[in-house]
Parts: sequence; structure tokens; C-alpha cells
Amino acid sequence: MNLFDPTFQLPEPMSTSAGHIDELFYFTYWLSVVFFVGIVGAMVYFAWTYRRRPGVKPEPTGHNLPLELTWTVAPIFVLVLLFHWGFKGYMDLSIAPVNAEEVRVRAFQWGWDFEYKSGESDSVLHIPVGRPIKFVMSSNDVLHAFYIPEFRTKRDLVPGMYTSVWVQATEPGEVVLTCAEYCGGKSKDQNGAELPFEQFKGHWAMQAKVVVESEEAYQKYQDGLGGNKPPEVRGRSLYEKKQCITCHTTDGSKGIAPTWKGLYGKTETLSDGKQIKVDENYIRESIYEPSAKIVQGYASPSVMPTFKGTVKDTDIDAIIAYMKTLKAQ
Amino acid sequence: MAAVDIPIAGGNAHDDAHGDPNLPYTRAKTGWKSWAYTLDHKRIAWLYLTAVSIAFLAGGMFALLLRIELFTRGKTIIDAETYNRFFTLHGAIMVFLFIIPSIPGSFGNFFIPIMIGAKDVAFPRLNMLSFYIYVVGATFALVSIVVGAVDTGWTFYTPYSLHTANAVIAMVFGVFVLGFSSILTGLNFLVTVHTMRAPGMTWARLPLFVWGMYATALIQVLATPVLAITLLLLIFERFFGAGIFDPALGGDPVLFQHFFWFYSHPAVYIMIVPGMAIVSELITSGTRRQIFGKLAVAASSIGLAILGFLVWGHHMFTAGMSEFSTMLFSALTFLVAIPSGVKVFNWTATMYRGSISFQTWSLYAMAFIFLFSIGGLTGLFCGILSVDIHLHDTYFIVAHFHYVMMGGTVMGFLGGLFYWWPKMTGRLYNETLGRISWGLVFVGFNVTFMSQFIMGSRGMPRRYYDYLPQFEPFHKASTIGSWILASGLFLTAYILISALINGKKSPPNPWGASTLEWQTESPPVLTNFRTTPIITRDPYDFHLATPAEVWEGFPEDFPGGNHPLARPATGAAGTAGDTHAKADVKKPSTEEKTADKKSTAKKDDE
Repeated sequence: MNLFDPTFQLPEPMSTSAGHIDELFYFTYWLSVVFFVGIVGAMVYFAWTYRRRPGVKPEPTGHNLPLELTWTVAPIFVLVLLFHWGFKGYMDLSIAPVNAEEVRVRAFQWGWDFEYKSGESDSVLHIPVGRPIKFVMSSNDVLHAFYIPEFRTKRDLVPGMYTSVWVQATEPGEVVLTCAEYCGGKSKDQNGAELPFEQFKGHWAMQAKVVVESEEAYQKYQDGLGGNKPPEVRGRSLYEKKQCITCHTTDGSKGIAPTWKGLYGKTETLSDGKQIKVDENYIRESIYEPSAKIVQGYASPSVMPTFKGTVKDTDIDAIIAYMKTLKAQ
Repeated sequence: MAAVDIPIAGGNAHDDAHGDPNLPYTRAKTGWKSWAYTLDHKRIAWLYLTAVSIAFLAGGMFALLLRIELFTRGKTIIDAETYNRFFTLHGAIMVFLFIIPSIPGSFGNFFIPIMIGAKDVAFPRLNMLSFYIYVVGATFALVSIVVGAVDTGWTFYTPYSLHTANAVIAMVFGVFVLGFSSILTGLNFLVTVHTMRAPGMTWARLPLFVWGMYATALIQVLATPVLAITLLLLIFERFFGAGIFDPALGGDPVLFQHFFWFYSHPAVYIMIVPGMAIVSELITSGTRRQIFGKLAVAASSIGLAILGFLVWGHHMFTAGMSEFSTMLFSALTFLVAIPSGVKVFNWTATMYRGSISFQTWSLYAMAFIFLFSIGGLTGLFCGILSVDIHLHDTYFIVAHFHYVMMGGTVMGFLGGLFYWWPKMTGRLYNETLGRISWGLVFVGFNVTFMSQFIMGSRGMPRRYYDYLPQFEPFHKASTIGSWILASGLFLTAYILISALINGKKSPPNPWGASTLEWQTESPPVLTNFRTTPIITRDPYDFHLATPAEVWEGFPEDFPGGNHPLARPATGAAGTAGDTHAKADVKKPSTEEKTADKKSTAKKDDE
């Protein structure tokens, strides 16, 4: 509990940068309270004391140059202080320590992908306590922003360029990473019919769980990530992590996209009438360029985002291995 | 010097087109054509006022729907795509169709000529043209948003906006057309203020409303062309594949943000400076005192106009600009606090030893100081680089700019409506209901947006269709606040419209104000004054004003019976507002009515 925060204006601080930002926030807050109470207090006092009464004339306005100069010049000192304080903190936020561990962040409509130095990736972000982590970020499609309120950190992800941000978590816990730059939304299917709420997707739902944990737990997580699991098991977890699960069912029921049950090896009719056998190449192409060949009866262009850059060759192998387990009968 | 008539280019044509110059402008000519084709600045002001009020109603309805959707988690009334379109419509309508043209188009048009003692603006035809350009631009913009299903937010950030690129180009084109309306209005005001001031209306004596409108006009003329450049670049990219903003073509999405804010930030000052300009009038009349430090208040409007061009980058602190640019924009942004502070301090100081009115419009001026102080002080948080990193793109920002735009400009606009309604319509509104509506607006506004500050700093991002459970109480409070606010605004509409229909007749100067617009009839005659006024004092020098000038009742009831606007049944009536010059003897209105228009222009010029 912060003594300067009787108003609960900020979420729980969980990173090293939170200390600086919270101090400056509350300093500015109390400074503003002083100014506000001063101005509004004077206004209300004057309004009541000098309220209009019959026969009482107002006094003609005089001049008071010293007073005017004071309230023009004095704020400058406060402003310089605030600017300098904030700029110093901003530079600390911008320049990552050299020993920071890098995590590659890729954003897409609408989800996050975190690739650790081992080359394994996940849709959940794990961060060890007490060690600087630098996020090297890019976007696959439109603008997004990486925002974790508890860490007081935010940075836009811009397609066509890398941006970065770093944090050092101070205590373990679970928080939410959320997108702060508007990136659209989807609540209707290809025919314009409204989907059930659970299937709405978009900017507001572009969240990822962030697990802040001890060094040991973090190492254990890293070891368990991918590793030596059989490909079909990895494929199954990629199916969930990469959000395939949202549109593709595995039980044969019809979703927004073709079911995966019995898909491998099946012959599909495409929207242009051609027939195609679902094989490794078709699956690979559909993951990288979803709109290239669309099965008849589904939206064209596809609503599926491209996974070029976020799904590696080994991941595709794993997904195909998993698909092969989903036989028609 | 006797009263002179200022030669106005096309002034006679203007009279011919508009009928009897000695009748109230509302009755000088009748029929729908007299409104649709009018060149009279006062009627054009009404056209603008009607149009922006419709825009305000539309934008407000979208705001209410958005707030209802956010009342509960999950889906409340509309789906996510509709929600995204609605907040785009809310923002675009409020910014481009309502706030930017609101005060300049309505009160600016109506009162700039009257306050400087002129018959009309410098270019009456251009004035009408700018209104019709506004109508065309507004229609175009709205149709393209609705038909194109634009869901990008009013900022149209690339590359997201490229998926509806044609609609965005159409929309930006609509805004560009609206921009022309802005430019023409601005130009008209600049020329009017420079060339058409009545004798004795020196720059130092210019009322603060006119100073504010002058500063606004400068921004309109200088900033709006940038929007045209942005549009041209968008078109090049779209139709010729030039990679400017689209990363897929090798362009830079951040560049679009620079272009967008290079116009849209100055536009923020196009929105707030007129609000401040009105408040300066309300404060002086509400206290019956010269404004404290008039020069500083006037200069701070110009200061804001200039600074407005230098701070666009503060919308982009997290967008991936270089550290150096970020630092520069933060430093420049802090400078905005100085002219803003000067204004607030001077307004407050003006109240000291004044005679303070609690009429609705005066309450709005106080509400402005209250709300704008919050809007301005929370701006400090957003200007501080490290703190802004946390607050950027959250509801804190939403609350901040609503406190400035709505708590500032809209409060000024509403205050102006109540203040000038008797002058514009000749009718008094119901003061008790007025105060009640003020209370509802003030309380509703604070409930709506104060809760947004708190949820914002606690980490609620903006433009969210759904939210985490911890934000629910804040959203509920905000939505309930929006209902209180809306009820206050509907009550306001009722009060003003019923005043127009069956309000009591207003005397020329119901508030005992000392500026020039109160020295003529309510509503003013077609030519504003029967003869050109000669200015001998500052507009706010209450202690120099004659008792007749600040007489609150009807001229006929003035003690001693020599009120310059009194019209005895027998005849020597029709005197004008040149009361600063100790009222010259005027010709009877009947004689003026029959006089040849051309000789009217010269007859007093002796």
C-alpha cells in the first residue's frame, strides 16, 4: 500500500520502472490537486463573497504586473522539473541493460507470439523475477501496442519495423498483457451473420497471460517448452496456442473453417471448382497464405491471418503430424 | 466626428438581397429562400447552429449507445463490429462536424461583425459558400463512413485503415472539403477583423471573443492545407502504388501519424480557443469587470495558436519515434501549460471584487474553469514522457481530452448559447430550468469522465469492446453519468426551444453587459446597428459605461427616458448602438426605410 495513493489510481507495481513512474505520477497528482484546489477554491470563494447584490458596484479592475509575471514565470520552473524528471525516466525505460535476455514478440490480428532464445515459442509469456528481459517486437499486419499495466510499460508494434521495450519484474504473479493500439475486430461470419459472443475477436480480446515466476520455475518452463515431445503432441499444443482451435474443429463439426477431422488426405473442392488433395504442401501453403486456395463454401479472402514468420517449418511438421492422427473414423 | 457608415464592399447588394435594414434581421425578409440564400451573417450563423446541433445530437446518440454497450461485460446491445463503427462515427462527427465548426460557424459568424461594429463579414457570399461547402463535406464524410463501414477510429491510422482504403480516402476527402469551409470562414474572419472595425475599435479594444476567433482563424488557414497534402499522398499510394504509408509497399505507417496529427493537433486548438474566447466574454459580463490582464489573455490565444503547430508529436510518444524527437515534443508540450495557465489565473482573478452573477451562462463559465483546470492539469501527466508511457491509449487519455474538448469547448458553447440566446432570438429563457440543466450537465459530465480517469490510470485501454472484471464498476458509473449528462442536454434543448417559441420578450441588454452586441436591439436589426457606432472605451470598461449602456430593462423604462434605443410612439426613434459616442440624433426609421439605399450609405458621412 502506497501512502501517497489513497485513491488507488494505479495498479499494483510489479516492475522496476513502476517505482519511478508511480513516484512521478503521484508527485504530479498532488501538485495538480494543489493547483486545482487553489484555482477552484478562489473561484468559489470569490463567487460567493462578491455575489451580485443590488446597488453594490464591482470595483474596476486594476493592474498587478508582479502578480501576472509570477504566475506566468513560476510555472515554468515546475514544468522544467516535470519535463526533466519524466525524460530521465523515459531514457531509462528506452535503454535496455546489456545483460537483458531477449524475447522475440510477434503480434498479429488478434494474438501474441513469444519466441524465447531456445527458438521455442508460446502464446503465454513467462518472465523470471529479478532479471531484465528485452522484448524485440514486430507486427505481422497492423499497428498493435504491447501494454502490461502492472509493469507500466507500453510500446507500439509497427509493421515493417522493430521496436523494443524492456522490463525487470520485481515480484511473481500472473498479469495480463493487453493490446493498446486499436487493431479492429470481428463479430460476423462471412455472410454477415452475427457470431455468438464467445467467437467475437478483436483489439479488446488481444490479450496474453503473463506469468512472472522465480528463476527455477522459469527454467523449468523453458525446459518443458517444446523439447523432446513427439511431434503430434507438439502439434496438438500448437493447435491451441496458435489459435487454430478458434475456427477449426477436430470432431468433424462445421466451424468457420474446415474441420481437421479426416482432413489430411481428403480431396476438397476449391472455390474455383478445382479439386485438390490435402497434402503437406497444401497445408503448408494454407498456413502461410490462407487465401491462396479456399475450400468451396468458405469466406474468400480467408479470415485466417497468415502465420508466415510465426509458425516455423518444424511447427508445420508437428501440426501435420497432429492432423494425421485425426482420422475420419 | 459624427456617426459614419463604413463602406462595405457589396454592402448595398447585401441590403437589397435581404430586405429592410431597419427591421430585426429575423423579420427583414421572409420565406424559406430568405434563409437558404441568405447573405446575412446572422442568418448564416443560424444555419450553422442548426447544422452543428444536429451533428452534436447524432454524435451524442452514438456516445450514449457506446456507453450502454459498456454498461455490462460481454455483449450488451451491439456486436463488436458495430461498436467499432459507432466509436468511429462518434469521434468523426464530434470532431469534424460539430466541435471544429461549432463556435466559429455559429457565434463567430453572428457576433464578430456586431462586436466590431460592422454590418456584416467582409465577404458575405463567401460566408454562405462556406456553409454550403460544410454541408457537402459533412454529407460526403458521413456517407463514406456509413457505406464504407469505416471502423478505424477517427484517426484513420494506417495500415489498418488500408483495408477500407477507398472509404478512408472518401472520408478524408469529405474532411478535406470540410477543411475548405474552415479555411474560407477563417479567411473571412481575418479580413473582417482587419478591415471592418468601427471607428475607435482599436486592436487593444477588440473584445476577447474576437481575439480568440482571430487566433482560431489563423490556425484554420494555416493548418488545414496539410490535410490536403495527406489526402494527396493517400491517393498516390492507393492508385499509383507509391509506398508512403503502407509497409507492404515499403512505406512507413508512423509517417501517416505525423501527417495526421500535424493537422489534427492544431485542430485541437481550433476547438478549444473559441471555447476560451466565449468564456472570456462570460466572465467579464458575469463579474461586470474588465478582464484581469486583458493583453495577456488576448496574447495567450495567439500563443496557443502558435504552440499548437509545434506539439503534434505528443500523440506519438509510444509510436516508435526517435528518443530525440520524443524529448523535443515533450518539452514543447509543456509550454502549452503557460498560456493555458495564464488564462485560467486571469479569469479567476477577474472575479475578485466583481459583482458575480449566478445566471446559467455565468455558471457555465465557472464550470469551464473547473473542468478545464482538470483537463489542463491532467495534460501534465500526458506530457511527462515516462508517465505517458503508462497512460498512453488508455481511458485516462479519453477522459483528459473529453475534459478539454467537452468540459472546455462544449461548456463554452452551452454558456454562449444561454448568454446570447436573448440577443439572437429576442426571447428570454427560463432561468430556473437553465440552472437545473446546468447542474445536470455539470454533475453528469464529472461522473462520466472522472471514473474514466481512474480506470484509465488503472490500465483500461481505450477503444475496447469488452473489458476485464475489475473495470466493471468504473464503466457502470461512467454509463450512469452519461445518462445524467444527456438528460441535462435534452433539458437544455427544451429550455432554449421553448424560449424561442413562447419565451418572454428580451430587452436589448438583459445581462447588463457592456460589449457592443448589447448596445443594439434584441434581435439586432438587419444591419446590426442603425448607424455605425463609434467606440470610445474598452468593451469591458464597466466603470466608463453610461447607465443607459448597462441598463438591464427595456429602453422605455429607463429612468429619465433618454435611452438611445427607446422608441417613443411618435417617432424620433431608431437610434443605434453608438451609445459610446453619446448617441447622435437619428432619423426616424420610417424615413430611413424609404430613403434610397445608396444615400443611406453616405448620409451620415459628413
